[in-house]
Amino acid sequence: MARMKFYCDEGRCIECLGCAVACEEANELPVGISRRKVVTVNEGMEGQEYSVSVACMHCTDAPCEQVCPVDCFYIRADGIVLHDKTTCIGCGYCLYACPFGAPQFPKDGAFGTRGVMDKCTMCAGGPEPTNSAKERELYGQNRIAEGKVPMCAAICSTNALIVGDEAEVSDIYRKRVMQRGKGVIGVPYGWSTAYKG
Amino acid sequence: MYHMAGVQLTKVKGLPMKKLFIFLLGAVLLNAREFIGKVPLVEHAKEVHFTGSRLISPELLHNILHYQTWGELFVYLQVHWFRALFFGITVGVLVVFLLHYLIIGPKKFSHSGKGVFVYSVFKRVVHWTAALAFVLVIPTGFMMIFGKELGGGDLVLTARYIHSIGTVLFIVSFIPMFLMWFIPMLPTLDDIKWFLMLGGYLTKKKVVVPAGQFNAGQKMWFWVAMLGGIVMIGTGAMMYFQDFHLAILDRFGLDQIDLIRIAAITHNFLGMAVAALFITHLYMSLFAIKGSLDSMISGNKSEDEVKYMHSSFYKKLKKEGKI
Repeated sequence: MARMKFYCDEGRCIECLGCAVACEEANELPVGISRRKVVTVNEGMEGQEYSVSVACMHCTDAPCEQVCPVDCFYIRADGIVLHDKTTCIGCGYCLYACPFGAPQFPKDGAFGTRGVMDKCTMCAGGPEPTNSAKERELYGQNRIAEGKVPMCAAICSTNALIVGDEAEVSDIYRKRVMQRGKGVIGVPYGWSTAYKG
Repeated sequence: MYHMAGVQLTKVKGLPMKKLFIFLLGAVLLNAREFIGKVPLVEHAKEVHFTGSRLISPELLHNILHYQTWGELFVYLQVHWFRALFFGITVGVLVVFLLHYLIIGPKKFSHSGKGVFVYSVFKRVVHWTAALAFVLVIPTGFMMIFGKELGGGDLVLTARYIHSIGTVLFIVSFIPMFLMWFIPMLPTLDDIKWFLMLGGYLTKKKVVVPAGQFNAGQKMWFWVAMLGGIVMIGTGAMMYFQDFHLAILDRFGLDQIDLIRIAAITHNFLGMAVAALFITHLYMSLFAIKGSLDSMISGNKSEDEVKYMHSSFYKKLKKEGKI
């Protein structure tokens, strides 16, 4: 059985924010909610600056699933961590438990109060019938069910963000490391192609 | 290479403006790239003022690397301890009182006579406002802790909203209650004696209990509800507002998410103390001393009850000629 993983290659990410925007648009997220964030580290420091795209990492031992007081999380056989929005009470415990700050809370509850949690589903929807209107409204697209790559990785222009079975993802990354070395390579990926060709 | 192109350009007259523009743009971009490479845009990236959400620090990686400090502790406590402790403490307190009621039984005092006027209308209103707040907050708190058993969803979500509304009532009653009872609730020597004999609750006999207007048990409840209440309001507000910015966090080098984690841990532990003492307060006023609830309804406490359960207060009233 495949074990689905995200990987963002910091040597390739050019902070174009394409993944974050594509995700928001594809899943019709409310304003102010981004399931995916692009973080730039060592900003402005020559040769040390790099960016990574971060969302729910779909942990094997997902702490959100462990702390949830209403047990609304479930982990699919392929490792995708999902939750049931009709069970969630929006308490925020998953956010406190998450190392990556993935859970977010749109203010769409009664009288504009904090509503139930929203997070990256790896474009795999939720517990509602696959590709039903309700699933789409609550969780966004179910691209996995259609055999498509999650929106963020599909849109990534430098192929920095890769997603798939862990063995294949690590194989791709291993090949890249063999070719160009590990980690950040000072000049952003594709710079020489774009400007010095 | 673009210099060569430039040389060519000067040679060929009448070149379309469009091509010239593209050439100039390219030149500017190339120069800009060299400029960026040489001068750091921001020297101290960490000191950049950040105006957006602080929930996850601007440097997300900092949060990820410091997850072990508070994040793991929160997960450990929530997974292994909070639910078990809440369950254990609640059941434990209930069992102890049930045994007390069955073995030792309630205390009964004569309710004949006028009684001693102890609670003015104002005090009763403040008390019942706080009481309503606790009746809303504590059961809804338990509903969230044991949300799994209730199946979650709208029921527990509504409980969460009521939990917040109840807090507003508590905030309203907080200041008047603190001011009106602050002085009689200060500890006295009687309290040590009260604790040594556990308030006379372990005997069936009517014994004279050393206590002023409030006994040590009531004082304990008062201080836990007041000082603990402030902390509960503060930590609860942090969890409620979730996305706020306190400049002071930077001084302690604390990420906002860590502060909320600490708040959640504190809220849970303190909640156990408040819940245990709330149940105790209910048992004492409704069951352990028959008719003691009357004083909070009519304002009058049975003279017999004051004589035994609040002996120092009784002596003081007698001296002042109020009885």
